[in-house]
Amino acid sequence: MKEKKKNKFKISVVVKSVSGIVMLLTLFSLVVGAIGYNGFTEALLEQYSNDAFNTANTAVTCIDTNRMDAYAGSKGKTEEYLDAWNKMETLCNTEGVTFIYVIRPDLTDYAHITFLFSTINNNSGYDSYEFGYVRDTTNDEYREKYRKLYEGKSDKEIVIRDKGYIETDPHITAMIPIKDSTGKTTAILCVQRQMETLVNVRNTYLHKIIFVLIITAILVIIIQSIYLHLVLLKPLRRITKETSRFAKENVLPEKKLQEKVKNNDEIGFLASSVDRMEEKIVTYVNDLTKITAEKERISTELSLATKIQASMLPSIFPPFPDRTEFDIFASMDPAKEVGGDFYDFLLIDDDHLCLVMADVSGKGVPAALFMMATKIILANYAKMGKKPSEILSAANTAICSKNREDMFVTVWLGILEISTGKLTAANAGHEFPVLKQGDKFELYKDKHGFVLGGMDGMRYKEYEIMLKPGSKLFLYTDGVPEATNSEKQLFGTERMLAALNEQPDSHPEQILKNVRKSVDEFVKEAEQFDDLTMLCLEYIGKNGK
Amino acid sequence: MKINKNKNGTKLTFEIAGRVDTSTAPQLESAIKEEISGVKELVFDMDKVEYISSAGLRVLLSSQKTMNNQGTMKLINVNDEIMEIFEVTGFTDILTIE
Repeated sequence: MKEKKKNKFKISVVVKSVSGIVMLLTLFSLVVGAIGYNGFTEALLEQYSNDAFNTANTAVTCIDTNRMDAYAGSKGKTEEYLDAWNKMETLCNTEGVTFIYVIRPDLTDYAHITFLFSTINNNSGYDSYEFGYVRDTTNDEYREKYRKLYEGKSDKEIVIRDKGYIETDPHITAMIPIKDSTGKTTAILCVQRQMETLVNVRNTYLHKIIFVLIITAILVIIIQSIYLHLVLLKPLRRITKETSRFAKENVLPEKKLQEKVKNNDEIGFLASSVDRMEEKIVTYVNDLTKITAEKERISTELSLATKIQASMLPSIFPPFPDRTEFDIFASMDPAKEVGGDFYDFLLIDDDHLCLVMADVSGKGVPAALFMMATKIILANYAKMGKKPSEILSAANTAICSKNREDMFVTVWLGILEISTGKLTAANAGHEFPVLKQGDKFELYKDKHGFVLGGMDGMRYKEYEIMLKPGSKLFLYTDGVPEATNSEKQLFGTERMLAALNEQPDSHPEQILKNVRKSVDEFVKEAEQFDDLTMLCLEYIGKNGK
Repeated sequence: MKINKNKNGTKLTFEIAGRVDTSTAPQLESAIKEEISGVKELVFDMDKVEYISSAGLRVLLSSQKTMNNQGTMKLINVNDEIMEIFEVTGFTDILTIE
C-alpha cells in the first residue's frame, strides 16, 4: 500500500516536469510552424499568381480583343471563333494550367456569368463548358472582382482557394479584363491553376514539423525522466526511505543522509535538515522519556503519600463502636493529592475525648509534611494529659523552634469530658466552631489566639461549653466557607449554616453529606481550590439513645 | 492581584489590590524580598484587598518577623472582611493594624 503511493508520487513529479517542457516545446513549434507556413504560402502564391498572369496575358493574344461581340454572336461555330478557341486550348495544355476561359458577367448585378471561351487541360480530368453556358457567379468574392475589372478599378485580380474545398481541388484563378481598342472592358479572361504542389509542399512541411516535434518530445521525456530520476528522485527516495525507517525504528541511522545524498542543492539541504531533525527528535524523545519516568515516579509517590496521609487520620466510622455516649463522623478531601488540612480525635482516657481540626498554610506536599508533624506533636501533648491551652502553647513552641519557612497552622482543639459533656477548648487562629445546643446550628464565636508556628511564646485562652445530650459540634476548615464558584463568589458561613440546618437532627454522617452536597451544588464545575475538611460530633450522654 | 510599591527613603509602602491567595502570594513575597533590606518602616495599604488566604497571611507573618528585627510594620485601611480573617486567625495579636 505504502509502496504504491510512493510510486504514484514519483511518476507525478516526472510527468509534471516533462509535460511542462513538452508544452513549451509544442508552443515553440506552433509559432515556428505558423511562421514557416505563412512564408511558404506567400512565396508560392506569388510564384503561382505571376505564372497565372503571364499565361493570362499570353492567352489574350489568342483572341482579337475588338471582336468580342462577334465571338459572342458566333454561337461557337464561326471559323474565327474556332481558330481562337484552338489557340487557347493549345496554350492551356502547353502552359500546364487547368482552365483558360473567357466570360461575360451580366452587368446589372454580376450574379451570372456567360462562358464565351472555355478550354481545359487534357490531363485535368474535367470537362470544358460549352459555348454560351450560363451559370451563377460562384460567390461574392468573384462577383466583387468581376465588378472591379469591368468598372476599370483594377486591371488584374486573383482568387485563391487553397483551404481544401470539397467540390474543387485547391486552385488559384488569375483574372484580367479584355479591353477593346477604346479601352472598354468587354469580357474577362480567367486562368485557373491547380495548386497541388503548394499544398503538398506545405503539408510536407507541416508533417516534418510535427515529426520533429514528436521526436524531440520523446527525447525530452526520456532525457528529462532519466535526469530527474538521478538528480531528484533517487536522492528523494533515499530521504523518504530514511524518514520512514526513522519513523519505524526511532533511532539514528548508521550512516547519515548527508553522506548518502551529496547534492549541493535544495535536496542536499533537505537531507542535512532531516539529519538534524532526527538528532533533535532522538534527544527530545530521550529527554521526554526521562521526564515522563520522573513524572510517573512522582505521581506514584504522591498517590502513596495520599494513602499514607489518609491512613494517618482516623477513617473507620464509628471509631469507637463500644462507646454509646457520643458519635463522630469526619472527612477530608484534599484539593491536590495531599493536603494541609487534618482532623483528629482520640481517647486520652476513658472519660476524655480529644478533638482536633487544623489547617496548615499553603497546600500540597509542603503543607502535608507540616501537617504530619503538627498532628503528631498535638496528639503527643494531648496524651500527656495537658489542658487544651497548654497543648497549643507547647505545640507552638515545638513548631516555632524548627520552622524556617514561616509556615503556620490554625488549630481548634477541644477535650470533651464524656461523663459530663463538658467541652474545654482553645482556638489557635482557626475558624469558629458551629454548635447545636437547641434546634439549630449556630456559629460559636470563641476567643481566638494566634496561629501555631507563627510566633514563639504565644499564650492561648481556654473556654468551656457544657454539651447537653443531643448537642452537636461541627468543625471545619476554611475550605468550606471559602469554596469558590466560577463567578468567584464564596460559599460563606451563611450557606454553610443553612446546609447544616437542613436536617439538624440527623446523624453526623448525614450532616456532613448535606454540607458537601450544598458546596458541590454551589461551586458546580469550578475546580476545588482548597482542602475540604469537616468533623461532626454528636453528644448523646450517659444513657445512650 | 496587583501590587503598587512606593519607596520613600527608609519607608516602604505596598498598595495591594485583589486576592492574595496561594497563586498570587509568591508574587507579593518576592516583591517584598526585593525591597525590604534597609527599610525601617513597612506599610501595607489593604484598602483594595478582596481576600487573603493562609498563604497571604504567611507572607505578612514573614514580613512582620523581618521587621521585628529592623523597624516597624503596619497595615492601614484594613476593610471588614480582611479584618475578620485577621481576627479569626489571631493575626490581630501580632500585627499593627491602624
